[in-house]
Amino acid sequence: MSSTQGHAPLLEMHGIVKTFPGVRALDGVDLDVRAGEVHCLLGQNGAGKSTLIKVLAGAHQPDGGRITWRGEEVTLGSPQAAMSLGIATIYQELDLVSGLTVADNIFLGREPARFGITRAAVANAAASRLLTRLGHPEIRPTAEVGSLSAAAQQMVSMARALSQDARLIVMDEPSAVLDNEEVERLFAVVRDLTASDVAVVYISHRLEEIRQIGDRITVLKDGATVATGLPTRETPTREVITLMTGRAIEYVFPERRARAASDQAPLLEVQGLSLRGSFSDVSFSVRPGEIVGLAGLVGAGRSEILETVFGARRATTGTVRVGGKRLRTGDVGGAVAAGVGLAPEERKSQALLLGDSVYRNISISSLARFARGGFLARGSERAAASEQVRSLDVRPADVDREVRTLSGGNQQKVVLARWLLRECRVLLLDEPTRGVDVGARSEIYALVRDLADRGVAVVVVSSEIPEVLGLADRVLVVADGAVVAEERADALDEHRVLDLVMEGTAHQGVPVPATTQHEGDVA
Amino acid sequence: MVWTLGAPVPEEAPLPSSPPPGPGTAGRLPGSRAAAAPRGPGRRLLDRTLARPSTAAWIGLVAVTVFFGVQAPDLLTAAGAAGVLDTAALLGIGALAVGLLLIAGHIDLSIGMVAVSSALATGLLVGEAGWGIWPALAASLAGALLVGLLNGWLVVRTGLPSFLVTLAAHLVLQGTALALTRAIAGRTVLQGLGDAPGWSSARAAFDSSVQWGDGTFRISIVWWLGLTACAGWALWRTRLGNAVFAIGGARRAARELGVPVQRTTLTLFCGTAAAGWLVGTLGLVRITTADGDPSLMPAIEFLVAAVIGGCLLTGGYGSAVGTAVGALLYGVARFGVTLAGWDPLWFQAFLGVLLLVALLANGIVRTRLRAVPLS
Ligand SMILES: Nc1ncnc2c1ncn2[C@@H]1O[C@H](COP(=O)(O)OP(=O)(O)OP(=O)(O)O)[C@@H](O)[C@H]1O
Ligand SMILES: [Mg+2]
Repeated sequence: MSSTQGHAPLLEMHGIVKTFPGVRALDGVDLDVRAGEVHCLLGQNGAGKSTLIKVLAGAHQPDGGRITWRGEEVTLGSPQAAMSLGIATIYQELDLVSGLTVADNIFLGREPARFGITRAAVANAAASRLLTRLGHPEIRPTAEVGSLSAAAQQMVSMARALSQDARLIVMDEPSAVLDNEEVERLFAVVRDLTASDVAVVYISHRLEEIRQIGDRITVLKDGATVATGLPTRETPTREVITLMTGRAIEYVFPERRARAASDQAPLLEVQGLSLRGSFSDVSFSVRPGEIVGLAGLVGAGRSEILETVFGARRATTGTVRVGGKRLRTGDVGGAVAAGVGLAPEERKSQALLLGDSVYRNISISSLARFARGGFLARGSERAAASEQVRSLDVRPADVDREVRTLSGGNQQKVVLARWLLRECRVLLLDEPTRGVDVGARSEIYALVRDLADRGVAVVVVSSEIPEVLGLADRVLVVADGAVVAEERADALDEHRVLDLVMEGTAHQGVPVPATTQHEGDVA
Repeated sequence: MVWTLGAPVPEEAPLPSSPPPGPGTAGRLPGSRAAAAPRGPGRRLLDRTLARPSTAAWIGLVAVTVFFGVQAPDLLTAAGAAGVLDTAALLGIGALAVGLLLIAGHIDLSIGMVAVSSALATGLLVGEAGWGIWPALAASLAGALLVGLLNGWLVVRTGLPSFLVTLAAHLVLQGTALALTRAIAGRTVLQGLGDAPGWSSARAAFDSSVQWGDGTFRISIVWWLGLTACAGWALWRTRLGNAVFAIGGARRAARELGVPVQRTTLTLFCGTAAAGWLVGTLGLVRITTADGDPSLMPAIEFLVAAVIGGCLLTGGYGSAVGTAVGALLYGVARFGVTLAGWDPLWFQAFLGVLLLVALLANGIVRTRLRAVPLS
């Protein structure tokens, strides 16, 4: 914004270096942030964004470089030191204590207290004010955090950052678990903050968000700043992507197979599937070689549909057939035996052995393939994993590394690699590109298409409508727990899908949410 | 399959995505959950009660009391109650401290040996060096705290598992305390401490009792209940309590959020050491004898009581009241086996079964009620 022009920087980081055993995560990063601006930090998975903000939050100690805060050089020796300067951080990994209440989590470490005794009433009242400001008055301050949905937990993290009265708030991929409406509310809060001269450092892989909210951009690549202070409005998306990846990537979707697969018998048939309280009477079928997308807003029941097909939830009514054979309801083992695989939405919390190596994490679901008379053939196990790591561009491409030390996006890729390695006949993918950078996305699309071409039936759920439209052959639009439309993907466009969603929701007699116009975000 | 979603959700179970504490499913569009069965306040209260860490222990306590009450009706008299409470008190003090440590995600195996060796130290100082009882007690408390600090420091500094650190401490203490005692006093049982200066006030503090009916209720019960109340309050309403849960439930997050992880961990290890000292002292003053038999206070029993009381070995979950109920349950079973005239060896087997049942019950209750939404 023009009003921020000429301000002395609030924060300057200069030549920051941070090494971990065997990796130079940051190698001379520069960043300057002005009061009242939204400064976007961009970079591929593993570029060092999260590491940089952890240095800024005092959670990591840099090995070199200078940090200047309001004109004075400072050392951020601990998280407390950063907080007391007025730097608040929302970490990428949800960092909540699930056994404590919402209010306890918001004020953890800074509880309002008298003589060491916490004042629950004060904390609860303050928490509920903060949550109301974030547009979520329904989250009760006394609710246990472990019982909340991922999006609600994100709101709690956000409320905690707001509660600190900070001069600078760092948000590391805050929108990854939010739906459009919530992102919009987040943006309203961000605008509110910047209007009162608070600075925001915003990290996201969704470039259209950056365009919407950001003032200036800093791009990291392989631990170094490649561009800083780019004005958001004047910089073309293509240029940003080229800076991030070092190559020009068109956001391309792989070509659909020309030959219609209509002659083949469906591999997956879902008939009248319902789950009480979630969705009802869902029917669809997927032929071998076909990709079917489920479009709709978060919470419309898409993930539940996948989980029910997979047997992780027990359907109230309805049948699922794979290759003509009926699966028992609520029997995950049976589904797996029939060749169904599900890559769930919350991969990190549900699916990774954080302390184990990358290749073990990838091969764990396919161990039978590598067993030789009761022993595992480590060599072929590692080789197969390496191949996946290469094709998904996991960085660093070292399969012996502990998964814990990978960046968030690279952890996602590891889980995805596991499912690609397992030879499924039916693959259910829930938000396969969440938190994954633009470069790797194209690779994932190509891989999924490649699997389909080899005869796998694929079902993809994604909140990003262009992704569904670009990747799938056929799209089911889900609104409010019901399939409201089914069409060929090339017969739909984004506005049409949103209209269908809105109609479907309105149709069921529920208030229509104020959904944002999704701007054309295909770069 | 181990990798993803846990057990299938039975149809009539509460929807995992609309968990007990009210409409917390933010992030959903209006209506997308509207069809979920509404939960009345009564149901919610029931869920909350069931989700408490100590619920399984309470149920077990009632069941075991009824069982042994039938087998040995003497259990339900004042004398029986006094015996049960006496057993439970010493155990409960240790279990409380161990339970707090468990909630913070650590374990202390040395607490039993701290109890034995602080009693020996007090005995040596009084019997061999001729100290008064109070100075001797203060010195042994200081020694115990030192052990606790050392345990905590090693755990915090090296990041070694506390299981191993405190196991080492247990062995070192066991060896040194006994060897030193034998070298100095020529034996490992120190008797006749009753004429030391200050003995009568020490007895008032650690070994007074009231008679009620035909039962002798000892002051150790007051110590136990008092400490449990204090700890319960601290867990619930102080910064320290929040820090304990945070450290056990999400240690890295706690550190990044500025919770004083190291200080809290040190405090807790000092707490178990102090509890060990108190247990040792209560025993010492009662029988005026310090006995170096290490089998007297196996730390495992504290652990068992805490776990029966609902503390998770993985941290982040548990309660002070739970440890007290666990200790009480243990007391009833032990005293009940004796009163019923069974071979005391049965008690061990019984305890094992009890532990398993408690673990299973806790597990079921938690997965049903605290299931994190799948999506
Ligand atoms: N604790 C650690 N130990 C070792 N290596 C680490 C550790 N934390 C991060 N790294 C490495 O540092 C590099 C930068 O990681 P970082 O998490 O900062 O990436 P990022 O830019 O946030 O990526 P993403 O978009 O995927 O979140 C990666 O190569 C990662 O493997
Ligand atoms: Mg990151």
